[in-house]
Amino acid sequence: MISAQDKILYVANKLGLSTLKDMQASTGAVYDVDIEQSGVLFSNATRHAQPGATNINENQFQVNEALLIESLAFYDITTSEGQAFDVVNFQNFYGSDTVIVFDLVIGNKRVLKDTPIFAAGMPYTFATTALFDDGGITIFKPRHQLFMEGAGILIPPQVQFYISYKLYNVVTGATEPYLEDHAFGCYLFGTRVLLNFNTTI
Amino acid sequence: MSQVQKLGYVDSKLGAPSSGQQTTRVLFNTIEAPGTTSSLSFFRNFQGLTNGQTNLNQNKLDSMESMVIKSIWLAQFNSNGILVNFGGQRQQTISIIVGNQTIVKNLPIQFNQNGTGQAFDRLHSNAGIASTGALIVANTSQTIMPTEIRLLTDIVIPPQVAFEVRIESNSAAYQTGAVVCALSGYGKIFSAGSSF
Repeated sequence: MISAQDKILYVANKLGLSTLKDMQASTGAVYDVDIEQSGVLFSNATRHAQPGATNINENQFQVNEALLIESLAFYDITTSEGQAFDVVNFQNFYGSDTVIVFDLVIGNKRVLKDTPIFAAGMPYTFATTALFDDGGITIFKPRHQLFMEGAGILIPPQVQFYISYKLYNVVTGATEPYLEDHAFGCYLFGTRVLLNFNTTI
Repeated sequence: MSQVQKLGYVDSKLGAPSSGQQTTRVLFNTIEAPGTTSSLSFFRNFQGLTNGQTNLNQNKLDSMESMVIKSIWLAQFNSNGILVNFGGQRQQTISIIVGNQTIVKNLPIQFNQNGTGQAFDRLHSNAGIASTGALIVANTSQTIMPTEIRLLTDIVIPPQVAFEVRIESNSAAYQTGAVVCALSGYGKIFSAGSSF
């Protein structure tokens, strides 16, 4: 199996990024919340508060920074007047029969296509340990993560990325409305490349 | 052999293109109101389903697309949208047919849910059984998990080959909500340029 570092160097070489191999390898995650309930994540990050709603200034990395996405997840956040507050599990508010169907776009290319996130819990997230006692009933907090199989996906430096998503009811097929004072968030997690100057500035 | 190597090997044997965008695919298909039946066929009927019930239009991948099935995921919802045990507690088997070949044959799924507590692999707990002590009345309280079986072998769905997932039982009760099947794994989607 190709390692995360090998994949980053392979893509960097293909894109002609000759100095990426000299940068600092790290672990990182970027996140954003769709405060506007527009069905798009990361595109509007520049207008969102940090760190309540996002940890990026724009939906692209600066020179010689990159992220190899190895897992991603959706979550719900309670909001009020455009301000983000608590991070919560969206199954507990939208119900188990909700499904998010999303695309991840990097540059002009769709790299994750019509991918579902089941509110009831995703594949590979079976052994959940986050249990919650709700008035005498033990209920699960299902996990809404997608783990990349085989190889991660690289967001190269200075290339825009975003996620577009829609909410559905998987039983009826109907489009689900957004809940008032709630907003969906998403994080992308994986091996990070950070800018590293070889000489002091 | 890794999933990436296996997909490349099979695609090259079949003469299929290998230049697509590497990604993770999760294919899913819903059957509405299946009722009590001895047989379910997923990825066969797409008529009337929305994008929230399936992410395919036909029972085959596009000409430049292929994937490895690594995990089978099954869920059943009652008419209130509450997740319930797939097929109740009845023993069921799953078969996956790709082209004219059965590639998973009569694999029992019931050990991965309900009261047996014996999922096939060592890492997963089973999907569990709802407490009989309290009645769950809202779909926002989930007491069980969907059924999942992670395959030990990487099975390839090549481009433009029909596939199907069949569940067989002795009259299992799937109720009047919906049942959902998802196949997840490494895949390739069409790409005109180089891979990220």
